[in-house]
Amino acid sequence: MTAVTANDVSLSWYEASARQRIDALVDAGSFSEFIGPELREISPHLSIFDLPEQFDDGIVIGRGRLDGAPVLVAAQEGRFMGGAFGEVHGAKLTGLLRAARALKQDLVILFDTGGVRLQEANAGELAIAEIMRAVIEARREGVNVVGLIGGRAGCYGGGSLIAGTCSKLIISEQGRLSVSGPEVIETNKGIEEFDSRDRALVWRTMGGKHRYLIGGADTFVDDEALAFREAAITALKVGTRCDVTVLEAEQARLERRLQRFGEAEDAVEIWQALGIDDPTDVPALPTGAFLRAATNRENADDAR
Amino acid sequence: MSDWGMQKAALGERLAAGRQHARGKVVPIPSLPAFLKAVIRSGDRVCLEGDNQKQADILATALANLDARDVHDLHMVQSGVVLPSHLHIFEKGIARRLDFSYSGPQSARIARMLFGGKIELGAVHTYLELFARYFIDLTPNVALIAAVSADKDGNLYTGPNTEDTPTVVEATSYKNGLVVAQVTEIVDKVPRVDIPGDLVHFVVEAGRPFYVEPLFTRDPAAITETQILTAMLAIKGIYAPYGVRRLNHGIGFNTAAIELLLPTYGEKLGLKGKVCTHFALNPHPTMIPAIESGWVEQIHCFGSEVGMEDYVAARSDIFFTGPDGSLRSNRAFCQTAGLYACDMFIGSTLQIDLEGHSSTVTTSRIAGFGGAPNMGSDPRGRRHPSEPWLKAGAEADPDSSAALRRGRKLVVQIGETFGDSNVPLFVEQLDALELARKLDLDLAPVMVYSDDVTHIVTEEGIANLLMCRSKEEREQAIRGVAGYTDIGRARDAKLVEQLRQRGVIRRPEDLGIDPLDADRRLLAARSIKDLMLASGGLYRPPSRFRNW
Repeated sequence: MTAVTANDVSLSWYEASARQRIDALVDAGSFSEFIGPELREISPHLSIFDLPEQFDDGIVIGRGRLDGAPVLVAAQEGRFMGGAFGEVHGAKLTGLLRAARALKQDLVILFDTGGVRLQEANAGELAIAEIMRAVIEARREGVNVVGLIGGRAGCYGGGSLIAGTCSKLIISEQGRLSVSGPEVIETNKGIEEFDSRDRALVWRTMGGKHRYLIGGADTFVDDEALAFREAAITALKVGTRCDVTVLEAEQARLERRLQRFGEAEDAVEIWQALGIDDPTDVPALPTGAFLRAATNRENADDAR
Repeated sequence: MSDWGMQKAALGERLAAGRQHARGKVVPIPSLPAFLKAVIRSGDRVCLEGDNQKQADILATALANLDARDVHDLHMVQSGVVLPSHLHIFEKGIARRLDFSYSGPQSARIARMLFGGKIELGAVHTYLELFARYFIDLTPNVALIAAVSADKDGNLYTGPNTEDTPTVVEATSYKNGLVVAQVTEIVDKVPRVDIPGDLVHFVVEAGRPFYVEPLFTRDPAAITETQILTAMLAIKGIYAPYGVRRLNHGIGFNTAAIELLLPTYGEKLGLKGKVCTHFALNPHPTMIPAIESGWVEQIHCFGSEVGMEDYVAARSDIFFTGPDGSLRSNRAFCQTAGLYACDMFIGSTLQIDLEGHSSTVTTSRIAGFGGAPNMGSDPRGRRHPSEPWLKAGAEADPDSSAALRRGRKLVVQIGETFGDSNVPLFVEQLDALELARKLDLDLAPVMVYSDDVTHIVTEEGIANLLMCRSKEEREQAIRGVAGYTDIGRARDAKLVEQLRQRGVIRRPEDLGIDPLDADRRLLAARSIKDLMLASGGLYRPPSRFRNW
């Protein structure tokens, strides 16, 4: 039971802005922002390219309560520069993660990103490395870092690497999680390898259902803010470890997974191998039926 | 003595030549090249069926593969120049002269070929206009058409995408022309007879369906909040006060937004049953929520839409369907319906000038007209009254006697002041004029003429041109809704304010609309998947539109 409900109105996570997502995620009225837009910490690079800046540099960070428990929150705004990581954007998340470690407070990251901002690539790449280190250091202190993926920009590039270091990932059908984006693959490998305009192909390769089925995400939820909230509350209650045993187990699982599915040409073949009765129907299944069909999915257990 | 049977005799010769390559009426695919060479004569007027949706693609390719030494100087009379093969025919010298209506994806190439003299242009028409000329001075000698299936007698089933076929066959076959159909398959009995077999001389079994472009699918996920605001303005500021029940919507995100706001915003305004009950419209997927919530009584269609077939078949109370259950579309009838039986057309455009002329051409593209000018024009031959038509007529001419006053069709142009890639919607001079000069055309390709357009809607408000009494007022009314474009910034603020006092210009606040309420949460569906779910799984969107 949830004592405090944040928002009883249906809100599509996919549609919502970063700020709307935070409002709907945490207990009503509990959020206070760090380094808010009034401080105008803008990107030092974008003006060189004559590009518009945003006063929060596309990420909202702060502290709130989730089902009464204190939590730190970071939300990327996918509608600004595709939620991409730049210098300030990255530094805000790094700082928040370091605070999480120091305060021993759990942290939730609302991913919505295409990866590193090309206009500030060096700073952005450095930020990704710093953030991954900060995630691991926080987790080593027993802090949970939960990732929520269901925004319009998906979770690509450096964002997907960070997601890989989180303790739990929650994803919706609309959410996409992949290192290289569809257009990047098509540009480098040709349309025969990947047709980025075939959206059904994009989603069955990178979308939430597939990621959940192959153990790339831990919880599958509807595209509803309330569903993300409930899942985040649950995920934070389960403590996860982060040590050599866990990482070695995950390494072994990934090797097995590669052996098992490495030859598959399409996600549908993988779903078939997972024993799903009507694998071609997977994209059309509503959440309940999908979760029932997914009982034999690959499971990352605690390995993340 | 004249011989009054010369055309019949010529047809007889073609039939005899064709039969050499056919078994009965059926031409096997391998014989298609030799067959076409035998039945088409140099200098023929040929209608190759294809519009903005369906395409006789197998026959188009076969025609383009002919040798120009065998067949040349054809005069192509066709709705759409859409496939690359349609222009190969000219590039290779098989055809020389062209009369057409719509060119969509080939608009840049067709312009280059016109500049280069590869094509001798007759004229660019509207669909209805070209169909009309099929019966007067552009009657085809040969029609190459597309259907779903045929029986051995040549009875054709054209399925949901019937579109232009009945018109083309009527004009060709009854005037001693030859009709050749490509079909997906030959069956013992067709599901319904759309075209009687005695009008069809040969059929080619293609083994696959003819190509259809999903032109009318708009992904709700791409609708912006500015478009939602323009849609709110249109609903509250035009649909409601005129009580527009019979109408046509153009393609575009603004009208898709209107369709998706009917069950939410429209419902809130209490407009259900009072507006948008009867449409001349393709089966837009974005209409599903409005249909499902009981807004719509009847829709007649120009064509079908890919993926909507099962939905339409399951909603025969709304759509026109045949005894086999599937949609029967007919472009000529639907265009006529849109022209004479609708009280409003609303659509987007690319450029509007200071008089209110609008156009979708740019200097390097000739996209043609399709049906928009027929939908977007005031039919002078209309005689039946209706409330919106009379009200619009009275606004335009308040002083004359009501019984002798023509009504006016509402012709609404809707768009954002800055469109795609921040290109301004309002211009000093249409690119169409420059194009006409470069190509030495008698007429600039104008989509909707200034004297037909009655309202312009942008996020800045509604300009009611019916209530403008002078050229100057009209110009200021247009400038008044042109926002921060150069046209808008050059407005005469005082005059614009006067127009606003008179209700010629109405801003969102004048209509009680708060722009901050224009939120995507107002849309009855926010994704293609929502549309599929709203249809109870009956709408099956093509793969490229699915994000699941």
